[in-house]
Amino acid sequence: MKTVLKYIGAVIALIVALAPIYWLVTISLKREIDQFAFPPRWIAFTPVLTHYREAFSSGSFSVYFTNSVILATVSTFAALTLGVPAAYALSRFTWPGDAREEIAYWILSTRLLPPIVTIVPLFLMLREAHLLNSLAGLALVYTAFNLPFVVWMMRGFFDEVPKEIEEAAMLDGESRGGALLRVVLPLVKPGLAATAVFCLIVAWNEFLFALILTQTEAAMTLPVGIASRVTQYEIKWGAMSAAGVVAMLPVLIFASAAQKYLVRGLSLGAVKG
Amino acid sequence: MIRRLANLFRVEGFKWIAPAMIVLVALSVYPLLYSVKVSLTSASGAFTLAHFRRLLDDRILFAAAWQTLLFTVAALAIEFALGLGLALLVDSLGKARGFFRAGLLAPMLLPPVVAAVAWRLIYNPQFGALNGTLRLLGFDTTRLTWTSGQSSALFSVILVDIWEWTPFLFLLLSAGLQAIPVEPVEAARIDGAGAWRIFCDVTLPLLKPTILLALLLRGMDLVRIFDQIFILTQGGPGTATETLSLYIYRTAFRFSNFGYAAAMSFVLLAVATFASRRLIRAMGPRRA
Amino acid sequence: MTIAVNAGVEGTALKAAAQEWGAAHQTRIEVVELPYANLFEKEQLDLESRTGAYDLIMIDDPWFPRLASNDNLAPLPHDPDADFVQSCLNVCRYPATTGRYFALPYVGNSQLFFYRRDLFEKLKLNAPATWNDVLDAARKISGSEKMYGYVMRAASGNAVVADFMPLLWAFGGEVLDANEKPVCDSPAGIAALKFMLELGKYSPPGYAGFNADEVSAHLLEATAAMSINWPAWIAAMDDPSKSKVVGKIEFARMPNGTVKGVGELGTWVLAVPVASKHVNSAFEFMTWATEATQLKQAALRGNPPTRRSVFQMPDLVARFRAFPVQLASLESARPRPRTPVWNEIENAFGISLSEANAGKLAPEEAMRNAARDIAQVLARAK
Repeated sequence: MKTVLKYIGAVIALIVALAPIYWLVTISLKREIDQFAFPPRWIAFTPVLTHYREAFSSGSFSVYFTNSVILATVSTFAALTLGVPAAYALSRFTWPGDAREEIAYWILSTRLLPPIVTIVPLFLMLREAHLLNSLAGLALVYTAFNLPFVVWMMRGFFDEVPKEIEEAAMLDGESRGGALLRVVLPLVKPGLAATAVFCLIVAWNEFLFALILTQTEAAMTLPVGIASRVTQYEIKWGAMSAAGVVAMLPVLIFASAAQKYLVRGLSLGAVKG
Repeated sequence: MIRRLANLFRVEGFKWIAPAMIVLVALSVYPLLYSVKVSLTSASGAFTLAHFRRLLDDRILFAAAWQTLLFTVAALAIEFALGLGLALLVDSLGKARGFFRAGLLAPMLLPPVVAAVAWRLIYNPQFGALNGTLRLLGFDTTRLTWTSGQSSALFSVILVDIWEWTPFLFLLLSAGLQAIPVEPVEAARIDGAGAWRIFCDVTLPLLKPTILLALLLRGMDLVRIFDQIFILTQGGPGTATETLSLYIYRTAFRFSNFGYAAAMSFVLLAVATFASRRLIRAMGPRRA
Repeated sequence: MTIAVNAGVEGTALKAAAQEWGAAHQTRIEVVELPYANLFEKEQLDLESRTGAYDLIMIDDPWFPRLASNDNLAPLPHDPDADFVQSCLNVCRYPATTGRYFALPYVGNSQLFFYRRDLFEKLKLNAPATWNDVLDAARKISGSEKMYGYVMRAASGNAVVADFMPLLWAFGGEVLDANEKPVCDSPAGIAALKFMLELGKYSPPGYAGFNADEVSAHLLEATAAMSINWPAWIAAMDDPSKSKVVGKIEFARMPNGTVKGVGELGTWVLAVPVASKHVNSAFEFMTWATEATQLKQAALRGNPPTRRSVFQMPDLVARFRAFPVQLASLESARPRPRTPVWNEIENAFGISLSEANAGKLAPEEAMRNAARDIAQVLARAK
């Protein structure tokens, strides 16, 4: 009996979690008359693809999509490339006094900076470097954004791996870097995957920096594109929800595939201590 | 101090960490210092404390600060309670765990902008799905104005955040629960303790680091909440859903008052730093 | 060339014009469509930091004093001709009405009053000539029909201020006096706000958070009978795929109060940033796009023109039944106060107005707050 109640509870939670998403999808498929009809047409409506056609044929959304993809992958890759060695260093090497924790805290604290604090200086800095309104400039900013998280997470995972393992490899002639690459990293694959997925999602969903640091469609991302459908007179709900659906699909697919890793990675890593 | 830095450079690991630190210094620290300069500069370029003085006198700022605090505390508390409940619930479902977990994670994966758009649609008093469905069930929805109503706007926005981010706490706490070693729990059960006692005396203490981490991460994000409010209400009606980030944004980009915006953002930063330091201290020393 | 436009009917029209011109001149034109508030921010950032990202920008006239300051815009090579409606030209000059020309008007918007002619006829009511007529009709319609007599936007910011200005002016009130001091808390101002709250009683609940789309949705769905609105919505009202009230809505001049009714001016103008790298091409395009033939095209796409001759073209008048009213309204329309800190004033004013409409503040207190906040804004700007 208790089990039945538990399942009912879980199902209700699931419905609450998914209903708004489902609604968004239906809006993207409904004709305008159906979108605002009463009673709300949860199931009975004739689906049309006009909104998707409108959103993507006008050209912009394909550009936004590509931009978001490039940005997310590049910045995640960069954040991992810079952050993994840093995390490893914090985990393995000896540091004078309190330096290890101080540095770790300092790195994490940059993540706590509200974006609004740094956004105007960043705008001006990027302008000087001619990186304004460019994917490169935005990628740089996103990398800095994701770095603290990578360092914090990966350090936890590295801490779980006993030092002896790579010490053994080094005795066999491996360099420190080689040991990291060939011995330790394979052992923290789930953690690495979880961290990478998190970075991808953060970069994909980011809004404020993209809003301010881009000026033309060449560099704008999906979230900016979606928000820009909120016009003064008429919110183009159809086009906006079509874009929203496309914006959320990669994340949902990707994350549910990596879901196992996410939980396992988190439980192995930063959660402990 | 200089000697400490010099010692630092000699550490072998330093060259591993240097690139990351350079990027962070360039893109986080330097802009921060620049912001300090901006906050002390008037529109004509002269040194001035006027921006900081104005902080003491701005009724919209007080409203925004209060609402940010309210938002953070309310959302965090509810998300935590729900997240914990769901984590415990789903954890006990055996094989079906993975299925439910995948589905329940969905809201937090959406771009916040998309979630806000979906809820803006749903909240529309006349044509939205929420009032529509309630009306279908027989409720009178004339007073239910959600994001358009002075008294209900903040609550409506909090609701959206709860919907969107409870999965995050659920995820973190689930992971924490999984990581708890079975021995203490088993031992307590053998000793005859009931489920509630086990939970309070064994599980919860072991979960403490996770709980604090979850509160820290989510709390920090809540204090600077922006995306959802930008799309849902833009701070209105009146100042009902004005939060610090939104007000700072508006001051900087609509009123072109970068000096005052910078000054305010330091207030935000100070609050965030203070709160996070306490939480991190409470998490205790890390096991090396 | 890169053009920044408002994401909406105005932007769509300019975008089409840009594509045509670009094809004819073998120039690639990128059109960046941005939502209203964001458009201002982007233009402001671009102009102030001279990034040169945009070669031509679309400006809503209240923003013009701010954006034209600091020599941000390139002055027009020659003055515009007299076919343009005077009220639209006035806002293209910096300082307003007397200074040099820095822009050309593209969309001639001035507020109109929308009401359900069929319901008025049914209840044997005369066309609303004064605001008291409006209130009276609202009361009667709310009573006998199952709908709201009135609907308005009272969302904080641009929405509520834009819908309040005609009332304020009709009652003889002003936002600022001749010395740029706030006088919205004058007896006239308070009376106007009180009247707005009266109208609010016959408006759908939640109107305190309404924007243009909610207001128009109510009209289109036949759940409200009257409102102030912009001509951009005329097309939708008569579009069977969107409207349940095709042909039933009358578009009229603003009702009178103690002062003759005037609509608020909301003209979109085109200007060239001084940092643009294609100033000459931009001016060429701008001049072409505001010629009569092009404005006619824009009109067919739902944008009221800014030239008298276009308003009077017979085929357009036949197609847009409200054109004569629109022209008359445009010629007498009033712009919002010409101050560079209008955004902040509108913000402060909007907060108090919205709070009053949400029932949070009494009208007197709201206006006093507004006056005090506006005074502070102006003081800081010195």
